Amino acid sequence: MAMSAAGKRRAVTGLLVAPAAAWLVVFLVLPFIAIVVFSLGERAPEGGYQPALTLAQYMNLPARAAAFWNTLVLAPIGALACLVVAYPVAYYLAVKADPRWRLLLVSLVVVPFWTSLLVRTYAWMYILGSRGIPNLLTLVGIEDVRLLNTPFAVLVGIVYGYLPLMIMPIYVSLEKLDRRLLEASADLGARPVSTFLGVTLPLSMPGVMTGVALVTILLLGEYLIPQLLGGGKVFFIGNALVDLFLQSRNWPFGSAIAVTLVLVVVVVLLGAMRLAYRVAGTRQVDLV
Amino acid sequence: MTATHPNDIEFRRVVKRYGAVTAVTGIDLAVPRGAFVALLGPSGCGKTTCLRMIGGFEQPSEGEVLIRGEAMTGVPPYRRPVNMVFQHYALFPHLDVSANVAYGLKQMRPRIETGEIARRVAEALEMVRLDGFGGRRIHELSGGQQQRVALARALVNRPAVLLLDEPLAALDKKLRTAMQIELQSLQRNLGITFVLVTHDQEEALSMSDLVCVMNAGRIVQMATPREIYDRPADLFVADFVGKTNILDASVVASGRARLADGSMVAVAPSDRVGAATVAIRPEAIRLARKAAGDLTGTVTNRIFLGATAEYAVRVPGVGDLLVTADHHATSKSDLIEPGEAVALTFDPGAALVFPARSSA
Amino acid sequence: MTKGYRDNAPISASAFLDELMRLKRGSVSRRHFLGVTGLGLATAVLSRELILPRPAFAAEDLGTKMSIATWPNYHDPATFEAFTAATGVAVEVNVFGSNEEMLAKLQAGASGWDLFVPTNYTISTYVKLGLIEALDMAKLGNFDGSTQNTRFTSEGTIDGTVYAVPKNWGTTGFAVNTGKLKTPVTSWKGFFEAAKGEADGRVMVHDYQLTTIGSALKVFGYSFNSIDPAELAKAEELLISVKPHLYAISSDYQPAMRATDAWMTMCWTNDGAQLNRDMPEIAYVLGSEGGEIWTDFYAIPKDAPNKPAGYALLNYLMDPANAVKEHIANGAPTTDSRVAALLPKEMLENTILYPDEAALTPLEFGAAVTLTDPARAELMARFKSA
Repeated sequence: MAMSAAGKRRAVTGLLVAPAAAWLVVFLVLPFIAIVVFSLGERAPEGGYQPALTLAQYMNLPARAAAFWNTLVLAPIGALACLVVAYPVAYYLAVKADPRWRLLLVSLVVVPFWTSLLVRTYAWMYILGSRGIPNLLTLVGIEDVRLLNTPFAVLVGIVYGYLPLMIMPIYVSLEKLDRRLLEASADLGARPVSTFLGVTLPLSMPGVMTGVALVTILLLGEYLIPQLLGGGKVFFIGNALVDLFLQSRNWPFGSAIAVTLVLVVVVVLLGAMRLAYRVAGTRQVDLV
Repeated sequence: MTATHPNDIEFRRVVKRYGAVTAVTGIDLAVPRGAFVALLGPSGCGKTTCLRMIGGFEQPSEGEVLIRGEAMTGVPPYRRPVNMVFQHYALFPHLDVSANVAYGLKQMRPRIETGEIARRVAEALEMVRLDGFGGRRIHELSGGQQQRVALARALVNRPAVLLLDEPLAALDKKLRTAMQIELQSLQRNLGITFVLVTHDQEEALSMSDLVCVMNAGRIVQMATPREIYDRPADLFVADFVGKTNILDASVVASGRARLADGSMVAVAPSDRVGAATVAIRPEAIRLARKAAGDLTGTVTNRIFLGATAEYAVRVPGVGDLLVTADHHATSKSDLIEPGEAVALTFDPGAALVFPARSSA
Repeated sequence: MTKGYRDNAPISASAFLDELMRLKRGSVSRRHFLGVTGLGLATAVLSRELILPRPAFAAEDLGTKMSIATWPNYHDPATFEAFTAATGVAVEVNVFGSNEEMLAKLQAGASGWDLFVPTNYTISTYVKLGLIEALDMAKLGNFDGSTQNTRFTSEGTIDGTVYAVPKNWGTTGFAVNTGKLKTPVTSWKGFFEAAKGEADGRVMVHDYQLTTIGSALKVFGYSFNSIDPAELAKAEELLISVKPHLYAISSDYQPAMRATDAWMTMCWTNDGAQLNRDMPEIAYVLGSEGGEIWTDFYAIPKDAPNKPAGYALLNYLMDPANAVKEHIANGAPTTDSRVAALLPKEMLENTILYPDEAALTPLEFGAAVTLTDPARAELMARFKSA
């Protein structure tokens, strides 16, 4: 029973970490290894996987170059559009809103997130479809406005769908921002805009970076919104993966794309953290 | 900004209300150019509100604040020729020391050229003895160093008035004493008006030229530290500033009062006759080892303080009195022991007469 | 807010709820993206958790639960309730988006299904991969091969062994809103021309290689099932040229057609019948060049955890009295003359369900090769990402 204090601490740490570690190994590491193995194999004649050791799937990546390109363009643009909408909301919630109403307002931001994105995206199909906004526009004499199944609709859907994920980290970083720093800035002669650019914005950068990284990464795997609001006319990596696994059952090629996507995500993450460190001078990027 | 105006800061009938609560109740105040003024009072007395109204972070509900003769009503903080050293300093954590100090210079229009900014930042850091610290991050600095960065950041802009909000509260006692001296000499050398807010009477008395004692949203007394200490305007000041024995008494004639135990003592002359309160500083009382006199008691406690000793003396019918004795200065080589009977004497001028306490 | 205002709102709350319920019921078009969205996957996983594999101790031991994989809005829910009432076996229904997806699930193993509904051209592949049972016809007393139209049933039998029995058949044509699109469209050539012309921005094609590529191939007179590189290249050229003019690439076309956001879409029989029933101006047309004819079958996976119940349900569904309710519910035409005898006259006379022979002649059944041909998959990916 003789156990040193340090030994006990290690044992406790081990017990605390074990469930998460086991979870990660079973549901993240092992599947990822499987996907790497698959990606080096060949497609069986009737679909699926057939063991092999070849880089052919990776050589074939250019066949999905357009999907990669669309995704790598959409993800940052979507994230930035999200940011443009989310920042003022987060700023209002954290800085301007009456503290009495703050909790309620924050809940209002979060609550829609509890319902299925599919259902909420369906709602947008009606809002943007001809019975929605275009129908209202006809009342004021503007005819034949098409919103649904346009890049604009995709952008709206993405901004809407990912807004809470962008608002929350920014809100958190703005909320813990010391108001005296803003007073200090004003005291030192900075106009409100200078204070915002010189103090508020840099100090909320960890939240901004967290939000942007989070939304960008999720957007790299997005396929539902472009499918529903973009009319399936824009093809993303997510769509390519779904088609390869569920339609043409080319698991090795799908795996190679998935592995590549994971690498892209890692690069994006590292980039975001470096940028956050440079801008905010802090190593903490609270990646949820 | 008229350079000839004698007062850097003026308050004219300034009232500040927060909803139903009145924080500042009609204050008139004038801070002469080049003065080091301390706003002293217990928490909630309105001193910080006054400072924030000078800084522009609060607007008076009534009346006006003038800086160098100009009304500041509606003037935002960034247009006021004052700078503040905030409580807990409010340094920018994302900027290094140099950038913190340069912050105000970079806001100035017309723009100051980069080389000039660097020169003035270096000068300011040298002034607060932080040369070579420019590249440090704020969280790498000690409390005292942060305090000096905050000073440099404010002073580098050469404000008309420097506002200091409890600037030493976060420092330990030794550092606080050192910074008190440093602040005082800085103020002397720069000739900039300092307005300091503190709840620490010792700090206020030791640093400033003028102490403005506040209570419940009013200015109770504004005077030199010496005068505040020796001639407190009322019982509150007497009690708040330094230690004081407060005795219920009845003035029978100017300069003569009867204490609660019936003994007659000589006090400072006053117009008042009848129920009153007498305040005597502990160091104004002398102790003698004898059982008889006008005022006698028994030593119940003694605290040795090095250069002095504090005695608690129980005077039957009057109460417990605090007496500070400079024992090295007395001819008696030995200290008075608890339990000994003593006679208490004081100069009549040191026994100040105030109106009776409201509870009496 | 007055009642009248709400009623005139472009999207009334009740209309939205209706649509949501429709979504919940799975009343989206047959090869709809439900599978794509992962909902099909979720139910499949759930069913695997709920149903523990158990050996069939006796033919009579049906257990208490079974699972069927099928298409959205393809059954009368009352059928399953009646089966449960009769046998005590609860039926879990999993809906899927495509045959490919069903195949992917069975290939991955442990699907947990006791019965599923594959389309004709996939059956030979299932047999080849050893994924489905040769049916024990002794357990399917209600099935009568002699009353089946062999045109639709042949692909269920391979080398004399019955692996699957038919549920219903159908066609793949296009639905067109004749109120919006004034020029009559009768061919796939006309379909694609209208997409670039009068109906620019108003036409939908399936998010499905078989029908989208197949229909494009028909424009040039090639086989619906072609895998010839030169022929596929022509189809690709056509599809990519039409893509900028499309309203959407989606197999969920009913909402857009009903909202008149889309004027014309590739369409399956049952969706065509439903659209036409609710909006008579929407016509269902079979391309004059040809197109697809199909049969959906019932089959039992080899690794079905509760085969006795699978057989029991299948036999129950083969009873014409039960089958007829299924046809009335999903609107698809029947392969069984016993069922046809029970169907209402207006269904039998509906030319959407039962086109004349001349219209059927040029149609082709899907070919197994398209299911696994990488060239068609890549073509589709290039079309969608163009």
